[in-house]
Amino acid sequence: MSYQARSGRLGQLVSLNLLHAPLMVISILLGLVGVMVLYSVAGGDFAPWAWRHAVRLAVGFLLMYAIANLDLRTLFNLAYPIFGGIFLLLVAVEVFGDTNMGAQRWLDLGFVTIQPSEFMRFALIMALARYYHTLHRDDVSQPFGLLVPLAMIGVPSLLVLGQPDLGTALMLAASGLGVVFLAGVSMRYFIGGIIAAVAAVPVGWNYLRDYQKERVLVFLDPERDPLGAGYHIIQSKIGIGSGGLFGKGLAQGTQSQLKFLPERHTDFVFAIYAEELGFVGSFLLIFMFALLIFLMFSIANQMRHRFSQLMIAGFGFALSIYVIVNLAMVMGLAPVVGVPLPFISYGGTSLLTFMAGIGVILAMERQPLADLPK
Amino acid sequence: MALYDTEEQGFSRRLVLLGSLQAGLFTVLAGRLQFLQIARSDVYATLAEANRVNISQISAIRGRITDRNGKLLADNDRNFQIRMVPERVADIDATLRDLAHILKLSPAEVFNIRRKIARGPSFKPVVILEDLSWDDFSRFNLDLPYLSGVEPVVGQKRVYPDAHSVAHLVGFVGAKTREDLQRVGRIVGDNVGRSGVERDYENDLRGTPGVRHVEVNAVGRTVRELQSDPGEKGRDLSLSIDLDLQKYANERLKGHSGSVVVMDIHSGELVSMVSAPSFDLNMLSRGIDVTEWEKLVDHERKPLVNKSMRGLYAPGSTFKMLVALAALEDKLIEPDERIDCTGVFGFANEEFHCWRSEGHGEMNMVDALERSCDTYFYHLALRVGINRIEAMAKRFGFGEVTGIDLDGEKGGTVPGRDWKRANYDSGWRSGETIITAIGQGYLLTTPLQLAVMTASLANGGKLVTPRITRITEAEAPATELALKPEHLAVVQRGMYRAVNRPDGTAYGSSLLINGARMSGKTGTVQVRRISKDERLNGVIPNSKLDWHLRDHSLFVGYVPHNKPRYAVSVVIEHGGGGAQVAAPIARDIMVQLLRKTQAEPERELAAEQADEARL
Repeated sequence: MSYQARSGRLGQLVSLNLLHAPLMVISILLGLVGVMVLYSVAGGDFAPWAWRHAVRLAVGFLLMYAIANLDLRTLFNLAYPIFGGIFLLLVAVEVFGDTNMGAQRWLDLGFVTIQPSEFMRFALIMALARYYHTLHRDDVSQPFGLLVPLAMIGVPSLLVLGQPDLGTALMLAASGLGVVFLAGVSMRYFIGGIIAAVAAVPVGWNYLRDYQKERVLVFLDPERDPLGAGYHIIQSKIGIGSGGLFGKGLAQGTQSQLKFLPERHTDFVFAIYAEELGFVGSFLLIFMFALLIFLMFSIANQMRHRFSQLMIAGFGFALSIYVIVNLAMVMGLAPVVGVPLPFISYGGTSLLTFMAGIGVILAMERQPLADLPK
Repeated sequence: MALYDTEEQGFSRRLVLLGSLQAGLFTVLAGRLQFLQIARSDVYATLAEANRVNISQISAIRGRITDRNGKLLADNDRNFQIRMVPERVADIDATLRDLAHILKLSPAEVFNIRRKIARGPSFKPVVILEDLSWDDFSRFNLDLPYLSGVEPVVGQKRVYPDAHSVAHLVGFVGAKTREDLQRVGRIVGDNVGRSGVERDYENDLRGTPGVRHVEVNAVGRTVRELQSDPGEKGRDLSLSIDLDLQKYANERLKGHSGSVVVMDIHSGELVSMVSAPSFDLNMLSRGIDVTEWEKLVDHERKPLVNKSMRGLYAPGSTFKMLVALAALEDKLIEPDERIDCTGVFGFANEEFHCWRSEGHGEMNMVDALERSCDTYFYHLALRVGINRIEAMAKRFGFGEVTGIDLDGEKGGTVPGRDWKRANYDSGWRSGETIITAIGQGYLLTTPLQLAVMTASLANGGKLVTPRITRITEAEAPATELALKPEHLAVVQRGMYRAVNRPDGTAYGSSLLINGARMSGKTGTVQVRRISKDERLNGVIPNSKLDWHLRDHSLFVGYVPHNKPRYAVSVVIEHGGGGAQVAAPIARDIMVQLLRKTQAEPERELAAEQADEARL
C-alpha cells in the first residue's frame, strides 16, 4: 500500500474504489446482519425495526462516504469544535432532555431525537487524538499533559453518568482512557489508577442506584431473582445455548419469537442471532468484529500522524469494548449494563456514529501523508 | 509533517499490548460461546423447550354413577366459571376492583377470594365465580375487558339428580385436601370424592388425566395448542341400588331417624340402603358455608352419618333367632319343649320381665319366636350360656365389619367373658347372659349386620358379603355357616308366624303379593332403665316420653317366605315398638320390591294353603 494520498480530481468526489475496501465491506456487512436479525426479531417482518435500520444503514453509508471525502486537515481542524458542540449538547440534555425510562438521554430537536452521549464517544476520541498530536512527547506524562485529557474525559463522563446512564458513561471513560494509554502515558499511572479504582469500589457502590446494585448482584447470582432482574441473563443464556451448533433458523427462535428475551432488538440482539444462527453464525459474527478491529489497529500502525494513529486505534478500541462488553453481558459474563452491539442493535445514533467513525478512518487511511500543523 | 521514530515504536508497543488484551477477551467470548452453544447446548435446549411449552394436565371426565337399572345417580355438567391466576395478574387489587364491579361481587365474596389467593400457590387458578348460567357467562365474556390473568373457563361439575335419597351411598366430591393427596396420590384437577362411593371408588371414577401441550409466550398467554391428549374418561359405576326402591324407602323414613337395608340374600347386593334423615348432596358438592355445615354436623339426628353401617344399636329381639340356633345346635333344647311364661323370670334376686307383663303361658320355640316371648329366651340363655351365644353371634358376623365395599363401616360389639374382662376388668354375670339373649345389654350391631344375619337365616346358612356396586360375575364371597337345615327351618317357621299369624308380633305387617309373603322378626330396644315403681304404676308409653328416651324400633325379615330372595332390616331410632313402627315400614318397602320383582302369576289357592299347613 502506498502512502500516496488517494484522491480524485479537485472538486470531485473520491471514487469508492480508492477507499479501504475491507473496512467498508465489513462494516456494511455487519449493518446488514443487523437488518437481518431485526427482520427476524419481528417474526419475519421488516416492520417495525428492520426497514428503519436499513434506511439508517443507507444514510450511514452516505455519511461515511461523505466523511471519507474530507481532507485530513479539515478533520483536524474540526476536532475541537465538534467536541465543544457535542459537549454543549450534553449540557443541553441535562437541561432540556426528554426523560425516557428514568434517564435523560435524548434531545428532541423537533424533527429528530438525538442521543448526544453516543456522539460524544466519537468526538472525545477525535479531540484527544488532536490534543496528543500537538502535545510534545515529553509532556505526555507531565501533570499538565495529564490533567487536560483527564478533564476532557471526566467532565463529559460525569455528565452522562448524571443522566443517569452508567453504561454509556463507563464506555465513554474507557474509550478516552484507551486513547490516553495509546498516547504513551506512563504505565505507572495506569497501574496506580487500576489500584485506586479497585479501592474505590466499596465507596462507589454506595453511589449506585438501587437497580444498578441489583444488576451487579444478580450478575453475580442470576438465580437471586429468576423472574426479575436475573430473568434477562437467564433467558438470554437459554436463548444462546439452545441455538446449538447451527441454530433454529431465522425467525424460528422460540426464545425471541415468544418474547422470553428482553430488549430483543437492542442490547440483547445477539442472543436472538445466536439462537437462530447457532454457534457457526455466532462465531462468524465475533470473527467479523475481531477482524474489523484488527484492521483498524493495523491501519493505525501504518499511520504517520499522531492524530490519525490515535483516532483510528482509539476508535478501534472503543468499538472493541462495546462488542466485548455487550457480548459478555448477553452471555452472562458481565453485569447487565445498557451497551448496544455496534452496527447490529437497533438505534439510530449508535449506528450513525459508528459509520461516521469508519468514514473518518477511511479518510485518514486515504491521506497518510497530508500536511498537518504541529 | 513530523515523524516520531522513537515514539512510533512506543505506539506500536502499546497497540500490540492493547490488541493482545482484546484478542484474549475475544478468545474468552468464543470459549463462552462454545460452552453455551456446544457443551451445554442440550441443557439450554431443554430449558428453552420448558419455557416454550406449558404442559398442563387436564382432569378426565369423571365416571358416572348409576343405579342397577342405569338410572343416573351422579352425572357431570358444564360449570361456567370465571377464574384468575394470581401470578399472571399485575395488580391484584385493581383487578379485583374491576371484577367486583363487572361481576357485581359482594364485599364478602371479594374477601373470600382474597383469602383463597393468599392461601394457594400463585400459579393455582382461583375461582372468582362459578355455576354461571350460559347467558351470564357469555355476557361476562363480552363485558370483561382485557384483564390479564382472568380467564373464563368451562369446567366440569358433579350433579346429583337425586340429591337426597342416595346421599350417604354416592357421597360427594369436593375440594381436595392434603389428606386426599396422601390417600389417592396425585390428583389432577380440583375435586376429589369426599365420601361414599365417590370417595371409595375414586380411582375408578377418576379415569386417566389428559395432557395438554401448549406453546406459551413470556407472559403465559397461549400462542397455540401443540398436542392434546384428552385422557381417558373415568369408569362408569353401576350400583346395586334400585333407585325407585331407594327413593321410596327414603320417602317412607321421612320424619324418622334410622335405617333401611334391603339385600339380595344370595349375592349380597344391596338393593336399597337408606339412612335417615338425609342431606342434599348438591349442596355439599357445591360447598356450603360454615353455619350450614355446623347445623348438619350438630343435628340431633346426625344426618351426615350413614346409620346403616355406622349406627350401632342393640339388636333386641331380632337376636333371638341366633340364641335359638345355638341351643338347637348343641341339643340343649328340643324345638317342641314347652316353657311356661308368667311374665316375670326370677334369677339371683333379680326379676327379668317379659315384654308382655301378663305372660304368654306355655311356649315352644316357634311360639316364642312368633310372639317374641322374652321368658322363653331367659330360660334358654341359662341353658346355652354366654360362650355359645357369643360364638353364634360371631359366626353370623357380629362384632366384625361385614366387608361392604364402602369405607367407614363399624363392627359393633359381641360381649363375652374375655371381652368383659378386657373392657370392664370384671367377671361375667349370668344376669348379663339373660339380657344378651334378648339382644340387649352390651350387644351392639349395625343395621347392615342385621340384614346380613337375616340373609344367612333365609339363604340356608351362608354368610354373604354385602356390596354396593354391581357384581358382574357370579362370585359372591360367602362363608358357609354349617347350620343344620332342620334347625334353620324351625327359626324360619317362627319368623313366618311372627308376621303371618294373628298372634305374631308383626301380624299387622303381613303382606301377600303374587303369593309371596314376608317372614320376619320384630325388635324393641329399651334405651332407658325402667324402675320398679314405674313397673308397678304402669310403664310410661313411648308417646309420652322425650324422643331420645323412647325405644328403638327394629324389624328384620325376608321375602318371599317360601323362596327367599331379599332380606330387609329396619331400625328406627326411638321409634317405639318394633311392631308398631319398623315392621310396617319393612312391609311397605317389601310390597314395593315384590311388585317390581314378582311378576309371577297369582298362585293357586291350593298351593297357598299347602304352604300354610307346612309352616
